[in-house]
Amino acid sequence: MNPALQSYFPLAVVIVLAVILGLTLLGLANLLGPRRPNEAKSSPFEFGSRPSGLGRDRFDVKFYLLALLFVVFDVEAVFMYPWAVSLGDLGWPSFVVMAVFGATLVVGLVYVWKKGAIDWSRE
Amino acid sequence: MPSGQDIAALLPFLLLVLGALVLMLSEVFLRSGGRGYQSGLTIAFAAAAALAVPFAPQQVLFGGQAVSDGFAGFVTMVVCAGLALSALLGRGWLETRNMERGEYYALALFGASGMVLLGMATDLLLAFIAIEVMSLAVYSLAAYPRRGQRPPEAAFKYFILGSFASAILLYGSALYYGATGSTLLSAMRGGGGALLAAGLSLILVGLAFKVAAVPFHAWTPDVYEGAPTPATAFMAAGVKAAAFAFLTRGVLAMVAGTPFAVGNELGGVLGLLAVLTMVVGNLFALPQRNVKRMLAYSSIAQAGYLLVGVIAASRPESRAQGTSAVLVYLAAYAVTVIGAFSVLAVMEKREPTPDAGSADAWDVSRFAGLASRRPWLAFAMAIFMLSLAGVPPTAGFVAKLSVFQAAAGAKAWGLVVVGVLTSIMGVYYYLRVVVAMYMQPAEMEEPAAAPPTVAIAIAVAALLVVVVGFSPEPLTAWARAALLRM
Amino acid sequence: MVPGTHYLALAAFLFAIGFAGVLVKKNAIIVFMCIELMLNAANLTFIAFARQSGSMSGQAIAFFVIAVAAAEAAVGLAIVIAVYRTRGTISVDEVEALRDR
Repeated sequence: MNPALQSYFPLAVVIVLAVILGLTLLGLANLLGPRRPNEAKSSPFEFGSRPSGLGRDRFDVKFYLLALLFVVFDVEAVFMYPWAVSLGDLGWPSFVVMAVFGATLVVGLVYVWKKGAIDWSRE
Repeated sequence: MPSGQDIAALLPFLLLVLGALVLMLSEVFLRSGGRGYQSGLTIAFAAAAALAVPFAPQQVLFGGQAVSDGFAGFVTMVVCAGLALSALLGRGWLETRNMERGEYYALALFGASGMVLLGMATDLLLAFIAIEVMSLAVYSLAAYPRRGQRPPEAAFKYFILGSFASAILLYGSALYYGATGSTLLSAMRGGGGALLAAGLSLILVGLAFKVAAVPFHAWTPDVYEGAPTPATAFMAAGVKAAAFAFLTRGVLAMVAGTPFAVGNELGGVLGLLAVLTMVVGNLFALPQRNVKRMLAYSSIAQAGYLLVGVIAASRPESRAQGTSAVLVYLAAYAVTVIGAFSVLAVMEKREPTPDAGSADAWDVSRFAGLASRRPWLAFAMAIFMLSLAGVPPTAGFVAKLSVFQAAAGAKAWGLVVVGVLTSIMGVYYYLRVVVAMYMQPAEMEEPAAAPPTVAIAIAVAALLVVVVGFSPEPLTAWARAALLRM
Repeated sequence: MVPGTHYLALAAFLFAIGFAGVLVKKNAIIVFMCIELMLNAANLTFIAFARQSGSMSGQAIAFFVIAVAAAEAAVGLAIVIAVYRTRGTISVDEVEALRDR
């Protein structure tokens, strides 16, 4: 066998065993277990309270707005990790550059804030 | 690390970004009074960026990823002029529709900063980022009014096809990176092989989408028609200039560094693109009665003539002639097209409800008899139409002449013949507007008066077109001096 | 060790799937996801080549592409919402107020 693939052999064994074990247990429970359904058992689980509404509810657009803002700012923050790791080598000039970058992000945040896009309670 | 020199070289770009941030904040902090100052601020930042160009040291930036050469400086000037003129146009257009906001100007400034950066880029990654900065701003401008069905649809089509093109360009860059170990255009030197060829082909396809070359032009008419008119003017002038600047740099690097011939006359890839673009753009413009759509097809045709200039630039014997011809063409087209769209903005029908049957909002019949009602407006429109058609004495004639001269210098006679023949075809549909204005009786209601800022934009553009038409020497000399450093 | 060419082949497949999806699919959101798939195929190609040649620059490029893709997602989804609000559909075929007539 290809030596590169050989190193994955134990993993393959684990996967095969896990699938067999899982299927066996589920199958046995299905065959041997008693089946007495009632209303509470067959309804979907919603933290113990009585389920309300349909499962495929629509979400308010403000969730979408917040999620997008989160994604954009989150991804911008990614640039700070490699910078932080190598700050010792890069020195003060890189600190200034990152400060400018951060300031630009802050301008964006201030704009979003004043526009009311992150005001959760506003109707 | 950035030195003082680097910052000076980047100053035009930095000023545009700063302007965008200032206008963004002005919208949330200073909106109590009127918004008249916003267009003024935008023009001030555009002027400051243009003024910073002569002081920018000519040097290589970011370890070879960008260069602040004369070529980039010229493109920056064209972009700033386009930004200022379309801010003037935007002020009047938006104010009469009661939708003037700081975001409009901020987006235009962000877009212009991307265009300036693209004009400087000599690296595929930097070019990708610059293209995205420019495009995301322009997509948003297209959707800006958020009224009626057309603007969101225009933005939607532009976004889908534009980001599709960007993704193709990026994948091509990835293959290029695999073949050369770098994303610098200069890394092509001495390269070859299937991987590099595949990468370069995908990059070329992505750029052909951006410059709207046939057969990658399908989005243009819909986007130009649906976007608000000032945004259309800005994208026609600015996006075209920036994308062609990078295309020229890329093609020159390709010719210098690889065994692939892209610029051969009719046989080569670019030659084929140029011929198709000139012929198809003009043919589709012929039957258009909708003037806005006609201008969109005209912009496709103009991309064909610009490609002829790029091909001339790719030949060693006509390289300097070709690059300066591209620059002259970009400058002349930018001013002319913004002027034409400004007149169109005055003439377009304002619907009481946004979705009313507005297919005839830009119909050529709205121009009928304009010469007797608004002689100056009709005169300006006639100048812009003649310039687009390439009739002397206008800037458009100077531009077409220098492109065809450069192609003749490259001995690309086939391209010259196709170019001249399609230009003659173009005269027909441009003159239809002139004929309607001067020889047909007025049918429609009295056109609305041009807001003062729009009138200024029209006057400045018309003056520039005529001055360059009568004495082209300053512009062509400047373009010849704007050297391109690899 | 998985050889680098496998990553490249995977990336090429992803790119082809995304490319075909953009051309074939009707739902704007799916078209949009296909474009993101193409961007990520390019990312994977950059990283595979970077590993092959032992250079870091390809990995740095991936960071930039991810940031750009996030910005593109924000603008793109906003445009899709604007289209939906004005006409109640996001099918690529039904958006046709603008065309030659």
